[in-house]
Amino acid sequence: MTILSILLWLPALGALSLIPVSANNTRVIRTLSNLFTTGALLMACWLTVSFDASNTAVQFSEIYPLNPKLGSAYALGVDGLAIPMLLLATLLTCIALLASFSVSEGIKGYHIAILLLEFGMLGVFLAQDWALFYIFWEVTLIPLYFLIDRWGGKRRHAASLNFVLYTMGGSVFMLLSLLAISQYDLEHQGSLMVSMGQAAQNMPVIEQVLVLLGFVVGFGVKMPIFPLHGWLPLAHVEAPSPVSILLSGILLKMGAYGLLRAVVMLPVAAQVIQPLLVFLALFGMLYGGLLAWRQSDLKAMVAYSSLSHMGVVLLGIASLNPTGFIGAILQMTAHGLIAGAMFLLVGLLYERTHTRNIQDYSSLAQVMPRFAILTALTLLAAMGLPGSVGFVAELHTLIGGFQQWGGLMVFFSLSILISAAYAMRTIGLLFTGPVKPQMQHIADLRPVELLASGVLVGGIVMFGFLPGPLIELSTATVGRMFVLIGERLPAWF
Amino acid sequence: MAIWTILIPLLPLLAAMLIGGLNFFKILDGEAGEKYTARIALTAIGFSAAVGLGLLGANWFAGMDEAYSYGNWLSCGGLAVDFKLMTSGFNLTLASLFTLLLLIVMRFSVNYMHREAGFHRFFFILNLFAAAMLLLVLSANAVFTFMGWEVAGVCSYWLIAYVYDRPVAAQNATRAFVTNRVGDGGFILAISMALFWLGSADWQVINTGAADLTQMDATLLALGFALAAFAKSAQFPFTPWLARAVEGPTPSSAVFYGGVMTHAGVFLIIQSRPLFEQAPLAMLVLALVGALTAFCSYWVGLTQTDIKSSQIFATSAQLGLMFVECGLDFWNLAAWHLCAHAVVRSYLLLIAPSILYNTQGRPTKSISPTFANFRWVFMASLQRGWLEPALDWALVKPIQQLAKDMRYFDEHIVDSALGAPAPAIKAIASLAQWEEQKMGANLISEEDRFALGSGLAGKLAEWVAALLHWFEFRFILRGVGRDSIRLGRHLGRAAIRFERLLLNPSYLALFVLITLVVARGYP
Repeated sequence: MTILSILLWLPALGALSLIPVSANNTRVIRTLSNLFTTGALLMACWLTVSFDASNTAVQFSEIYPLNPKLGSAYALGVDGLAIPMLLLATLLTCIALLASFSVSEGIKGYHIAILLLEFGMLGVFLAQDWALFYIFWEVTLIPLYFLIDRWGGKRRHAASLNFVLYTMGGSVFMLLSLLAISQYDLEHQGSLMVSMGQAAQNMPVIEQVLVLLGFVVGFGVKMPIFPLHGWLPLAHVEAPSPVSILLSGILLKMGAYGLLRAVVMLPVAAQVIQPLLVFLALFGMLYGGLLAWRQSDLKAMVAYSSLSHMGVVLLGIASLNPTGFIGAILQMTAHGLIAGAMFLLVGLLYERTHTRNIQDYSSLAQVMPRFAILTALTLLAAMGLPGSVGFVAELHTLIGGFQQWGGLMVFFSLSILISAAYAMRTIGLLFTGPVKPQMQHIADLRPVELLASGVLVGGIVMFGFLPGPLIELSTATVGRMFVLIGERLPAWF
Repeated sequence: MAIWTILIPLLPLLAAMLIGGLNFFKILDGEAGEKYTARIALTAIGFSAAVGLGLLGANWFAGMDEAYSYGNWLSCGGLAVDFKLMTSGFNLTLASLFTLLLLIVMRFSVNYMHREAGFHRFFFILNLFAAAMLLLVLSANAVFTFMGWEVAGVCSYWLIAYVYDRPVAAQNATRAFVTNRVGDGGFILAISMALFWLGSADWQVINTGAADLTQMDATLLALGFALAAFAKSAQFPFTPWLARAVEGPTPSSAVFYGGVMTHAGVFLIIQSRPLFEQAPLAMLVLALVGALTAFCSYWVGLTQTDIKSSQIFATSAQLGLMFVECGLDFWNLAAWHLCAHAVVRSYLLLIAPSILYNTQGRPTKSISPTFANFRWVFMASLQRGWLEPALDWALVKPIQQLAKDMRYFDEHIVDSALGAPAPAIKAIASLAQWEEQKMGANLISEEDRFALGSGLAGKLAEWVAALLHWFEFRFILRGVGRDSIRLGRHLGRAAIRFERLLLNPSYLALFVLITLVVARGYP
């Protein structure tokens, strides 16, 4: 067993260790699960420190063949794309558990589900084999279904069913694409990801395009890309807020992560459908932004803003140039932190007031100064204010997109403008205005909550001022991706 | 040696910063701090005066360079502005004289301002003014002259409004400041013309380069400076501001409107003497305006009954005479007149209260009966030539009307097109709410009208958002989500019904029969 396997199986071990514990023994359950997630976070940190950012190869590789006939293997490994996602996943799981103290019923099942969810997410980011990737992709679905269906809000049944149907529908397309590639001769070199990447080059262009479209549908549901986002508002709103943190913070990134890998695998097809991707990205950004502007429900607003922000990631991927890719990866991290902080803070507010309607709030800055400053910082970061990590990411994407399409980026700016409109309005409505008597006796953040949100907001601000290390992590990997893309693109492109 | 010139304006500036900073942090405050403030101010201006006199002496014995450059302040394309001070000549003489006057007035103020509420503020402003004035006089570049010019103007504004809780003082200060700004327009215009035509705003370049300019250009340039000078030195038609400016404390009146600041205009003219010599028309204007001012001020001064006003009109009459001398080519006389008048006027204004005390009971000499019989002329004198109402009518009223029209345009057309920002709506003032509502930004209503925009962009966003919302709700949420689930249930129910049908014994038998028939091969 090496480090990646330990990291991967730690949450699963945690879930197993919870099984014998009595369901009434909440203290032990909480302690154990926090222990395991913290362990995973520490391992991920250690992994980041020992990760060699200048090395372009996949590091810490582990390969154990599972099905030699098909070529699938238990292959794990990390590169500059996976490392930030691993950190984000372990960090946000820790924070979600810190925010879970308000969950009062079915604690044991809840914690097992969260740990299993972390296991699935880590597997997705660690897998270097499409078969393994697909398995872990599906593994995340089951705990998430139960988390929403059991601990969610009023319409939780509809939400969870909707979520599962959508994701399963997308997975079918992804599976079809994977099968289509594996029909071709696989040369059994290294993991299935590598060999399928090579096999894909032998396909006719039209098939490559179809396969990539399958991937776009499969990953696009998760990401989400504009017409496939139907599950998102409902699931985000109805899920308990720790689960919303994980949903928007990490699960959406799984889609973007997979899409990035698929685009590198099929650059020719990506060139062909590039206009479609750009249109979907820009339209999705405007669409999500305008709908977010229209929501009076705080959680729905954040959910639609997620749609808008993930459009930035898609735009970065669609630009098919290094700056755009860096922007996309940065935006994945940025949105993970920002959306995580947003859902966390909104959830904490909801616990205190039991209303999510923005119009019910007023002048909170007087009674909850700590909450006010953290939320204001997060909202400002969401609109991409310089000095926040959101700005760094959006700037990279903007530059990448501008290199590719120039003036079309005016729509990007428009969507940033819209996001500024709803962010500023939310700050104004929540924290200023006339004093309302029913909003006068709300407790400010407690130390644990302050720690959880402070870590996220601190990350947002710190990486806003010092984005260097974060960019450094992925630069070499993006460089390797473009070497691969360059090899795979025929000369006439 | 010449490098020390910078100390002359720098020391008062440092003193001003020190007094201001210490007072801001409450280290120097109240009566206890007066001693230190006075000491700082007097030391700074004293050293300044010493440096000035020392340099003057050095100049006397061994001639120095005309100017000293401290380096480049701004360079942009072909345009360069150096920070450069004059180290000899009339500039240095006048600077030394001014430092002495300022020293005397500051010493006077220490006692005069004792226990006044704004003692520290007064000294802060006075020191800042001293620095600005000395920079104005010493600068070898019109840009830095203008900086001193402006800062001196602001200091004058602050000191006129020294008792800022009195509406009259505040109004007079604003009036004086705005009048001065008219002249600043001329100054800025002249600087930009000099930069454009001569490529530099150095006084030496302007004065030597004036010979190469066409007469038209030189006249324009000279008139720009002349306008600035007229405004600063209270010449016709800017005379009224000076009478309003004596609102401040007596020592500040002495130094601003008697001794130092009002002479800045005349100084500016003398400074650019070669330029004016190239522009006969400008010289003519100088002489005419000066003569008109001298005459008017003398005439109005005859009917003044309080000592400060009569002194002020005497001042503007004297300044008018200086302009006449400049216009008539008596430059040296003007320079001497300037220096002498600065000293005498400062003295007269400082002792104004004692003059009153000493002449108590003695009536002022009445004017000759030949004048006194002209009623209309007497009336004109009493009304100060109706100059202020005339200016109001000619300049202020039209501008106010224009502003009114603009405001109407802004409120009714621009605001409704651009929309009002939403947070303003949250103000509790009912008047504000009413105004917002009138503009169409109806965000306060409690009904479900949340996402509302105002203005063109806002309305557009609102409509597009509503359309997208309908799309989202109808097709994405209900269409794909709920409807597909419903369809699935529907299909499932149909399948179950079919299954039941299949399991019905009679049908089951039928199917078995059919299967058997098929299997055996129907003949």
